Amino acid sequence: MGVDLGVLLNSTPQRLKDFRGKVLAIDAYNVLYQFLSIIRQPDGTPLMDRQGRVTSHLSGLMNRTSRVLQQGTLPIFVFDGAPHPLKLGVLRVRAGIRARAEVEWQEAREAGDLERARRKAQQAVRLTDPMLESAHELLGLMGVPIVQAPSDGEAQASHMVQKGDAWATGSQDYDALLFGSSRLVKNLALSGRRKLPRRNEYVTVQIELIHLAENLESLGLSREQLVDMALLIGTDFNEGIRGIGPKKALKLIREHGDLETALAAANLDMENFEEVRRIFLEPDVTDDYELAWEEPDGDGILEFLCQGFDFSAERVRTAVRRLEEGVASRGQSRLDHWG
Amino acid sequence: MFSAKIRSEVLKEITDVISTLVDEAKFNLAADSLTVRAVDPAHVAMVDMTIGKDAFEDFKADEGELGLDLDKIKEVLRLARAGDVISLEHDEDRNRLVVRVGNITRHMALVDTAGMSDPKVPNLDLPAKLVVRTDELRQGIKASESVSDHIALLATPDGFEMVSEGDADSVRLDLPKDLLDELQSKEKVRSLFPLDYFSNMVKALSSAKTVTIFLGNDYPVRIEFGLAGDAGNATFLLAPRIESE
Repeated sequence: MGVDLGVLLNSTPQRLKDFRGKVLAIDAYNVLYQFLSIIRQPDGTPLMDRQGRVTSHLSGLMNRTSRVLQQGTLPIFVFDGAPHPLKLGVLRVRAGIRARAEVEWQEAREAGDLERARRKAQQAVRLTDPMLESAHELLGLMGVPIVQAPSDGEAQASHMVQKGDAWATGSQDYDALLFGSSRLVKNLALSGRRKLPRRNEYVTVQIELIHLAENLESLGLSREQLVDMALLIGTDFNEGIRGIGPKKALKLIREHGDLETALAAANLDMENFEEVRRIFLEPDVTDDYELAWEEPDGDGILEFLCQGFDFSAERVRTAVRRLEEGVASRGQSRLDHWG
Repeated sequence: MFSAKIRSEVLKEITDVISTLVDEAKFNLAADSLTVRAVDPAHVAMVDMTIGKDAFEDFKADEGELGLDLDKIKEVLRLARAGDVISLEHDEDRNRLVVRVGNITRHMALVDTAGMSDPKVPNLDLPAKLVVRTDELRQGIKASESVSDHIALLATPDGFEMVSEGDADSVRLDLPKDLLDELQSKEKVRSLFPLDYFSNMVKALSSAKTVTIFLGNDYPVRIEFGLAGDAGNATFLLAPRIESE
């Protein structure tokens, strides 16, 4: 979910091929949730194999990742580790929302209210251990490197961008900017024609690129101040102040310079804010990872998806072909392999 | 402290060479020179450039660094008329680069250099060395562009070759020893490179009449050339494509 900063930020539209040769550190949980949420039937039922196991995430990984790789872009999937204790509260709230949505989904479906059913189904999305395992396995067969974050995946992805190992972070959340990622790519998993929620309308979602430095510059803020703003609005690690949204937060931080002063001026209190700040400014990350894009195992992918999860062989072959095109456009070594 | 005046052609030459690989770059300042070292986002190529103060009409600098958005420099260059001298000054209080061209003054926001590391120049052992005219390279590239996305560079004891092989066609530029200013190659060496990178690099050279190429077998290439009438010099490194099987 992350902090709500979208209204304040400038972004530039991008095409997939603009990322050719570039390394994108993708927040794996975030993208898997996107797939699980979008790839559904009109009544909200996810894709499933004959055994009733959900396969929406695998379908998304296959189709989207193969298109990314086809363009000669090099994705890294960064998986979350143990959540920070302060995130547990948010996670509990979300679990509650999910449980409720699950019941309401069934009710809506029985009542024949497809619109509501689909919406509730999307709220009920759950990323389970077997889904994570199958996602790992498929990425491995596709030759895509996986990085295990010690804690937050976005923090780790941002760290890799700061180190220069990746060009941008890929996520729907803006948290990567708080974590100091100089570039954030949005809608990587989402671009294309999408239905608007609660309306029978479609929009074309474009991939967007957000530059941190440019946005800080135009907002007239430092990264520390952006983090302070986020704390006022509310993040995955704190609730924020009721009634303060992005615009008000911006005004307060501009006026008072930092969170402490802004809180004092408004006679407000905030728990744990120093700790939450630390989560963003000094995140728990690791340098213990290896990045290598291997050749895809086409037969392995076919066997895994078609025999394992009842995918259509034709569609999987199309994806494998894209992966092979990507490899052909690769073959390119990096300078750091030499000398 | 940084304050300099530079002819627009020279600034364009510098900018073109760096922007072949990156959109933003860190300019390292010293009392008598300016250096830039940058790697493209895909880590396929590197530029390592030193511009001596003689390339400038006027140059005063303390040790320091400036992060510049090269697109903005290009915007300024488009405002310049032939022979214009562009003045550059670092406004340290507001952390802006104040750029003056003609009667126009632009206050340019600097790019944060905190995230820009100084890339390490790989230590390469390249057995072949040759000096070739830039316009010959351009011809070879032009011939290859419709044929393939890749170009092989070969050095033999007898000459230098550029070869592109497509699915149906192939093209080759042969430069025997007597057409080269210099050739040292005891044996045949060959490496394959992405044509778009190689082409962009060569196109960025505007004043160098010749370049020095160091080549190995399935190994990066080093391309050295002069800038700003030899008041500066630069090196491109380009990683090879590795042909599997």
